[in-house]
Amino acid sequence: MENKNIKLNDDIVLDHDLLKGPRHLSFDEKRILATRVMKKHGVGGVTLHWVNAISWFLLIFTGTALLSASYLQFAPLWYINMMDGIFGTRGAMLHFHIAVGVFWVTTLLLYGIFGYKNYLLDFVKHDLTIDKDDIRWFPAKAKNLAGKLNHYEMPPQGTYNAGQKAYAVVVAFSTITLMITGPIMAFHIGSTTIIQWSMMLHFVATMSVFAGVFVHVYMAALFPEERPAFFSMITGKVNELYAYLHHYKWWTEIKNEEHAFFAEELKKDGIDLPALHDCKNIANHQVNSKVYDMNGDEL
Amino acid sequence: MSKYAMVIDMDRCIACHACEVACRSHYDVPVPYYRNWVHDLRPEGVYPDIKKVSYVGLCNHCDDAPCVKACPTGATYKRKDGVVVVDKDLCIGCGLCIEACPYGARYIDPVKEKVDKCDFCIDRVEQGVEPACVATCIASARIFGDIDDPNSKVSQLIANGAQPNVSSKVNVGPNIYYLDSHNHFPVVQAAFPPKVPNMPTPQKMWTKVLRPLFWLAIGGSFLGQLAAFSTQLFKGESDIKE
Repeated sequence: MENKNIKLNDDIVLDHDLLKGPRHLSFDEKRILATRVMKKHGVGGVTLHWVNAISWFLLIFTGTALLSASYLQFAPLWYINMMDGIFGTRGAMLHFHIAVGVFWVTTLLLYGIFGYKNYLLDFVKHDLTIDKDDIRWFPAKAKNLAGKLNHYEMPPQGTYNAGQKAYAVVVAFSTITLMITGPIMAFHIGSTTIIQWSMMLHFVATMSVFAGVFVHVYMAALFPEERPAFFSMITGKVNELYAYLHHYKWWTEIKNEEHAFFAEELKKDGIDLPALHDCKNIANHQVNSKVYDMNGDEL
Repeated sequence: MSKYAMVIDMDRCIACHACEVACRSHYDVPVPYYRNWVHDLRPEGVYPDIKKVSYVGLCNHCDDAPCVKACPTGATYKRKDGVVVVDKDLCIGCGLCIEACPYGARYIDPVKEKVDKCDFCIDRVEQGVEPACVATCIASARIFGDIDDPNSKVSQLIANGAQPNVSSKVNVGPNIYYLDSHNHFPVVQAAFPPKVPNMPTPQKMWTKVLRPLFWLAIGGSFLGQLAAFSTQLFKGESDIKE
């Protein structure tokens, strides 16, 4: 048998209907799951996230300082003066804003063009498509936050939960708007009317993203239950306990993939594995009351 | 501190357009636009009581300049000496100042794609030379000077009754004064009244509707997260593994 070196850990017993959703786990089960990791983001995704974050940071900090007319002013005057001082002149600050913007647009275009098949299409189709559970999630989350609904009664979520998906859609549309309106203003494309509308849409898009960014940063960096998501943006990996509790549908999907891989391996030895949700144990597959490990050896 | 202004003596002006040409050649102003203009009006009245009036105009370097207020980036600003200038590095060519200007003194340079207008030839003035239009005027119909100095010629002419082009609706403190003893100035004012500063639809939408909405949304989400974080701090954290 090939892959003799693959060994599996102790495992949790799946004595519940996998299709329904997560159940309460015992302390030991939590401990086991917490020590294992699953890959959530590829190198491309992690890089793009941080390039995007740093660009946004620089663009927001210069952009707010560029708006000095009273009917547009966002930042206090001392901040505008401080930024003027840092950059020397406001003209230099505008050029910096445009330079970072060009870099940002170029990065996103490269991602969109060269990563279309490998990253973008997969992300949109697999991670952003909204299903029934997502629609049920919003009222459920409101009840959950009010303390009226248990976490385990929440509709199970995919790679991203419905809130993250909704924000991602807002960010995606805003990003496209900014990628178009920015160059129009920076390079004076079109008539003054077009530039005036671009200006308004530029603000609308930025503010739409800005309205959600506190939730995004708080949830990822500070909120204890979601904090693994923050580290996943560095390592690309999350622990399985987090995946099981917060992204259950994604967790079962990955487990199904693993299961299919095991099943194929075991088939070579003439052992037929039942489907995952018929298994009582996720790693040590139980067949006809006999338990096999990954090597196909009877336990 | 000096504060620059200009008096146009309509009695002396012969509408030769030399000032307009001097300005155009000095700043390479493309043809349909002006930094400085002479608009000839049609003759008015019945013989022998006929008037032939010309409107000599330029940026009024207003005290309460609507263009300065309209400029989103601060590219248009008022210098301490009262001259309203455009920082070309900062201008994004949005044209909001053009909509705001009551005197139509601004245009977008089709080559540089940035806004341009009269700056009282401030580079010349700082070197002690008169503005190009003043220097070229054969009739000395344009008088340039400092109105903070009561002995300057402009101050004296203003004291003698030179008046700015303002109306009951629009008075933003213009600094171009017109001297006139033949009742020509009311004709100019009737033909070229200062227009009410305009704000285009997208900017109106942003200011009146969208900006307050977004302030609410951003403030709401910030306060919500602040409340959540405070609760978290007060409660202390529990290890999720247990």
